[in-house]
Amino acid sequence: MAPLEPWEKVLVDNETFSQTDHGELTCIQCHNGTNVADKEQAHAGMIVSPSAQPQEFCGECHEEEVAAYPNSLHNTQAGYWTAINARNGNIPEDHPALDEMFGNHCATCHTTCGECHVSQPKNVGGGLFSGHVFEATPPMTRSCTACHGSRVGNEFLGKNEGIAGDVHFREARMSCVKCHEGADLHGMTEETASADHRLSGAEDPKCTDCHAEVASGADGIDMHTQHGDGAEISCQVCHSVTYTSCDGCHVAISETSGKPFFETEATYTTFFIGRNPLQSEDRPYKYVPVRHVPVATTSYEFYGENLLTNFDSLPTWVYSTPHNIQRYTPQNATCEACHGNPEIFLTADKVKETELAANQNVIVNAIPGPVEMFLAAMPQPAEHADLVTDSCVTCHEEGIRNSPIVPESHLEFSNDSCSGCHKLP
Amino acid sequence: MKLKHISVYLVGMVLLSACATAKAESPTATEALTATEPVPTSAPEAGECVACHTNKERLIETAAPIVEAESESKGVG
Repeated sequence: MAPLEPWEKVLVDNETFSQTDHGELTCIQCHNGTNVADKEQAHAGMIVSPSAQPQEFCGECHEEEVAAYPNSLHNTQAGYWTAINARNGNIPEDHPALDEMFGNHCATCHTTCGECHVSQPKNVGGGLFSGHVFEATPPMTRSCTACHGSRVGNEFLGKNEGIAGDVHFREARMSCVKCHEGADLHGMTEETASADHRLSGAEDPKCTDCHAEVASGADGIDMHTQHGDGAEISCQVCHSVTYTSCDGCHVAISETSGKPFFETEATYTTFFIGRNPLQSEDRPYKYVPVRHVPVATTSYEFYGENLLTNFDSLPTWVYSTPHNIQRYTPQNATCEACHGNPEIFLTADKVKETELAANQNVIVNAIPGPVEMFLAAMPQPAEHADLVTDSCVTCHEEGIRNSPIVPESHLEFSNDSCSGCHKLP
Repeated sequence: MKLKHISVYLVGMVLLSACATAKAESPTATEALTATEPVPTSAPEAGECVACHTNKERLIETAAPIVEAESESKGVG
C-alpha cells in the first residue's frame, strides 16, 4: 500500500459524498471547527476522529453496532492482554510497567469505526479511502490487511515469494469480510461478544459453514472420511501451505528520538503440524498447524525485569489458521507426506531448548505411523461408541473385562492417539 | 348623569373583555403548532471547509510540511 500525500489524505469528493447519508451532515456537525477560510482558525477545536466517541457521533443511527463494539477485540485488544497476563502470571506489581509497554507499542492497533469505514487506520498513516465517502464494506488492502498484513495479508494475497495466495482470493476474489462478517468484527455474535482472545470459544468463521459436505462425510473424499470427517485434524493441516513465523520481538523507546520501536530477531517460513493446545469440544482437532509467535522471555525487558516470569504457561508455537488455503498441497498429495514423516511435525528437535517447557502440549512425540499400519488396525467394537472416556489404556493396559492388552510395539504412542488407528466401525 | 357614567363604563368593560378573549386564542394556537411541528435548527454552515477540502491545489499550498521520521523498528512487525 503506497503512502498517501498529505493533501490526498484529506481531499473530499463532495460531489459523491454529498449524495450519501453522511453527506447530509455538515462538516462542523461531526468535526467541530469554524466555517472560515483561514486554516488555523477553521481547525481550532477540530475533532479529527469523531468516531473515537462512537456513542456521540455514530450511535444515533448505528445503535446496535455502537452498543456491541466496546467489547469487541478490535476495540479492547483483549487478546494481547490474555497472552501478556498469562505469561506474566498476572502479577499486580508488574502492571504499571506492562501498561506503559502496551500503551507505547500495542495500543496503536486499537481501531475506531472511522478507521475501517472512512479512512486508513492511523497506524499506517491514515488518509481518506474515497474522498470521505463511508464504505459499509472496508476496502480490504487499505483497511484489513493494512494492519493484518505481515502474516495474514501476505499469505492471503500471495505476497510470499513462491507461495500461491489463498484460493478464496485467487480463484473466488473473496475479501476478508466474506468470512469475517460485520457482526463478528463488531462483536455482535455470541462468539465475539466480550471475547478474550480471537481463538476463544467456538470457531467463527468455520470452514464447514460453507463446506458443510465435508463435515457430514457426504463429499466422498477418502482423506476427509479417514480423518474423522474433519474432526481429527483442522482443515488447515491439509489445506494450508508454508506460512510465516517470527522470533524474538523486543520493544523499547529510542534514546535518540524518544519514540517507541521494535526489533524482531528473525522471520522465516515454516509448515509444522503440532498437537492442538486448545483442544476442546469446539476445537476437537488432535493436530493443527502451529506458528511461532515472536515472544521471548526478554521481550519487554526495557520496561522491567522478569515481566514474563510465567513464560512457560503458553506455547510459543501457537494454534494457527494460515490464510493461504489451497485445494492441493504437498501434504495432501499422499498419505506418506505426513504418515511416518517427522519432517512435517513439530518435534522436540525443532524447538529451542529454552522453549521446550512452554511447548510441551504442542510438541509431537509420536509421529503418526505408516498408513498401512492404520489400514490394518483392528476397529474398535461398535459398543465403544457409548464409552464416555477416550482413555483407552484404562482397560487395555491391564486387560480389564477381557480387553486385549496394548502390544509392546505401541509403547511409543500416547494414549490419546489410539482412536487415530482403531476407529469405530 | 350618574347612570350615563355607569353605562359608558359597562360598554367599555364589554368591549375590553371582547378584546381580551380574542387575544387569549392566539397563543393557544401557537402552542399547538409548536408541539406538532418543531422548528428545525439549522446545521452549522461549512462552505469554507468544503471549499478548501475539495480543492487539491489549495490543500497542497496549505498542507503542513510533514517530517517523516525514519522508523527505528527492525524486522517484521
